[in-house]
Amino acid sequence: MKRILIVDDEENIRFLYKEELEDEGFVVELAQNGEEALEKLPLFKPDIITLDIKMPGIGGIETLKRIREMERGLPIILCSAYGEYKQDFTTWASDAYVVKTADLTELKYTIRKFLGLL
Amino acid sequence: MSEHPDAYTLLKSIIHHSASSLPIETKLDQMVQSISSAFQSDRCFLLRPDQINQNGFLSRLASEKKPFWMDEGSSFQGDGVLLEEKDLLSPTFACIPLWDETTFQGILYISFSNKKKLSPQDVDLLLLIAEEMRASIRNACLHQKAEQTISELTALHEMGKAVTSTLQLSDLLELILMTGLKTLKAKGGVLRVEERRTGELKVKSSHGDYHQNPLDEKIARRVFFTRTPISLNHSGKERPFLSILCAPLLSKGGVLGTLTFYNKEADPSKFDERDFQLLLTMANQMSCAIENALTHYEISNIAQELEKRVQQLSTLWELSKALLTTVNFERIIHLTLTAITIGDGLGFNRAMLFLVNEKGKTLEGILAVGPDSAEEAGRIWTTLSQRKGTPSDLIAQLQLSPEGNSILSSMIKGIQIPLEQEHCILSRTVLEGRPFNIQLPPAGEEWLQIHCERGCNLGSEVGCGAGEHLSHHPRVYSFATVPLWGKGKVIGVILVDNLYNQNPITEDDIHVLSMFSNQAGLAIENAILYRNLEEVHQELKEAQTQLCHHEKMAALGELSTTIAHAIKNPLVSIGGFARRLDRAIQNESQEKRYTQTIVKEVARLEKIFNDTLNYIRDESLVFKEYDLRDILKKSLSMISEGFDDGGIHLVKEFADGLPKVIGDDQQLKQVFFNLITNARQAMNGKGTLTIRIYPISRNGSPFIKMEVEDTGKGIDPENLHNIFNPFFSTENASLGLGLSIVHKIVTTHRGQIEVDNHPGKGATFIVTLPAKKE
Repeated sequence: MKRILIVDDEENIRFLYKEELEDEGFVVELAQNGEEALEKLPLFKPDIITLDIKMPGIGGIETLKRIREMERGLPIILCSAYGEYKQDFTTWASDAYVVKTADLTELKYTIRKFLGLL
Repeated sequence: MSEHPDAYTLLKSIIHHSASSLPIETKLDQMVQSISSAFQSDRCFLLRPDQINQNGFLSRLASEKKPFWMDEGSSFQGDGVLLEEKDLLSPTFACIPLWDETTFQGILYISFSNKKKLSPQDVDLLLLIAEEMRASIRNACLHQKAEQTISELTALHEMGKAVTSTLQLSDLLELILMTGLKTLKAKGGVLRVEERRTGELKVKSSHGDYHQNPLDEKIARRVFFTRTPISLNHSGKERPFLSILCAPLLSKGGVLGTLTFYNKEADPSKFDERDFQLLLTMANQMSCAIENALTHYEISNIAQELEKRVQQLSTLWELSKALLTTVNFERIIHLTLTAITIGDGLGFNRAMLFLVNEKGKTLEGILAVGPDSAEEAGRIWTTLSQRKGTPSDLIAQLQLSPEGNSILSSMIKGIQIPLEQEHCILSRTVLEGRPFNIQLPPAGEEWLQIHCERGCNLGSEVGCGAGEHLSHHPRVYSFATVPLWGKGKVIGVILVDNLYNQNPITEDDIHVLSMFSNQAGLAIENAILYRNLEEVHQELKEAQTQLCHHEKMAALGELSTTIAHAIKNPLVSIGGFARRLDRAIQNESQEKRYTQTIVKEVARLEKIFNDTLNYIRDESLVFKEYDLRDILKKSLSMISEGFDDGGIHLVKEFADGLPKVIGDDQQLKQVFFNLITNARQAMNGKGTLTIRIYPISRNGSPFIKMEVEDTGKGIDPENLHNIFNPFFSTENASLGLGLSIVHKIVTTHRGQIEVDNHPGKGATFIVTLPAKKE
């Protein structure tokens, strides 16, 4: 069972992702900001993380940096309503960048790709 | 009283004769007659000095001033008597020389065939008579001299009166010659005056045909240069006798000319010393008058010249004033040419303006003003002559339009002359910066092309009007060119001619034209600068408007971004859960329609937000080299569904060997996508969509053109100017960002987009993008 950590400040989004991904057979853990994600990371030991960029607190980018320091090889998918940063982050920081839409096909596809489930 | 005469009767008769008013010769004849009959002599006569041989007996008697008596008891052997004088040696004779103080008047001779004794009374009587004759001769001489002096004085008086009566040089000279002729009673005369400018001695007045004789000029020149008068009696073997008097006309320190007279109207026709003196007196008196008249003539010439200059200057001033009324280029050039052609201005028939194109190194025809035919010329001149006002007023009232459309003007507008041509007068005017004044006899059709051998078509263009005219008026055609000076350089050429009235173009005309064109040149240059300034100003204004527009859009963009992002997250939740609901609901149930509606509408909302955000955001672009055909293929694969149902026929025309474009592939994909989507919408699912891609070259740089042509309804002309504006759409379902995104992307790629619109038939969008240089 692959483990996914969802980091997003919107409760509805967290809930939607949890439902959808659990339906796919993943073990899902939620964090509502960067600080909580960093706390849960060593306990939950996820196989992959989806990370929102715009969040209260330390925010997505800072969280991304710190996770990289702790777990170097952990795949991180940036997941944002902002499409315009895609170019920047896919090139250096994250492994993938998915623009949030109601249709989760792309997100699910990307997660499977990184977990070698395709 | 047979031997000796009655002294009383004789003296009475002699005194009677002496006191008579008869001419002296008659008087003397009558006196001799009286003596002869009183003394009953064989011969009695008065020998005048010119009848006496100088070396003979009589001349010796004359020089001795003593009477000689030969009578009974005298012994005279005839010593020193010349052969011709032998005849005088009668048995008894007397010779009484007549002397008036210093002048020898003649010898009274009386002779008798027989030897007789002359009594002392006879001798006394003869001496007394001789004395009376001498007195008569002297009186006659004095009288004659007095009369002559009076007539001379009268003549001089007349002449004086005449010369003061006029200052007209030609009249005066004529008068002087005529009075001289009258005074000297000459048959002919010539008056010559030196032309001050050329130094030439010219015949100003003449009587008779003596001035045609080469001798006349020779004498006049000699007298003129030596300043010495000549009195000459000329007789050649084959030529008739000529008596010539010639005097220089001397003024203060100079010679004005010569006055020559020929042959006296008398027999002999020889002038005497008196005539010569009279001529000198006349010449002296006349010189002064001639000098005055000459000075007057010159001053009035200068005054006329000055008046003309003032007139020209005031015309120039008027015309310059007119030029100052505007800075509009079209009006300035029209004013300039009109000023050159109207009668109150410079008065040429036609004027043509050419301006230098510095980029192309050519001279381009700009405008021509002038009638198209002689009939039109006459009509215009009549109209203009009826108008009142100063030239500047007249010019200011002129309308711009009619002249600009004349045949001549449209001919001129097509002319382009390369500036390096050495043979074209127009080109040379620019390169040499000087005017040309050219007179050409009409030599067929090619009369002006002599100077335009390298294909300058001015000759034929101007010539076709001139040629036709010249066939009716075969006279000399002349034209002139002047350079148009701007600040320190020639900016163009003005060509003028007098095609219709055939007036010659003088150097003075050229001078005035040059002065005017110097001012016109500056005015035209200023107008050009002003026009450029206006253009730049207009561009700046447009740029400012655009900037404002951009700012507005940026502000709008920022606002929309914030709102869009705030809405996007809830949309994800709504849509996401709707999908979950949808999956959970049975296919046949009523609720399935509800959930599907939510899913679809959320998807549509998301698309709208993405489009908006795409347009607004300033993406960081990645420019790489791409083959446009590959990008097009990707775009087409995204929208292939519309072509599958067969309603739209897709035609692809791609040229080979296309250069690559440099750009952002995502954006270029968007361009194709939007243009094709647009075309499909326009065709409403039916028609032909043609896509062409081909290379072109502009100013040596490579470009790629791509055309997207549809057979739809085209664009309503009313909307044409709006199609690239954001949020403009004729489709209710569309947000209207499609074409404005295309426009934005193409502009970002330093390209251009144009529309070839055919309302009702279709439209073609043409995108030009810079390509990579090979």
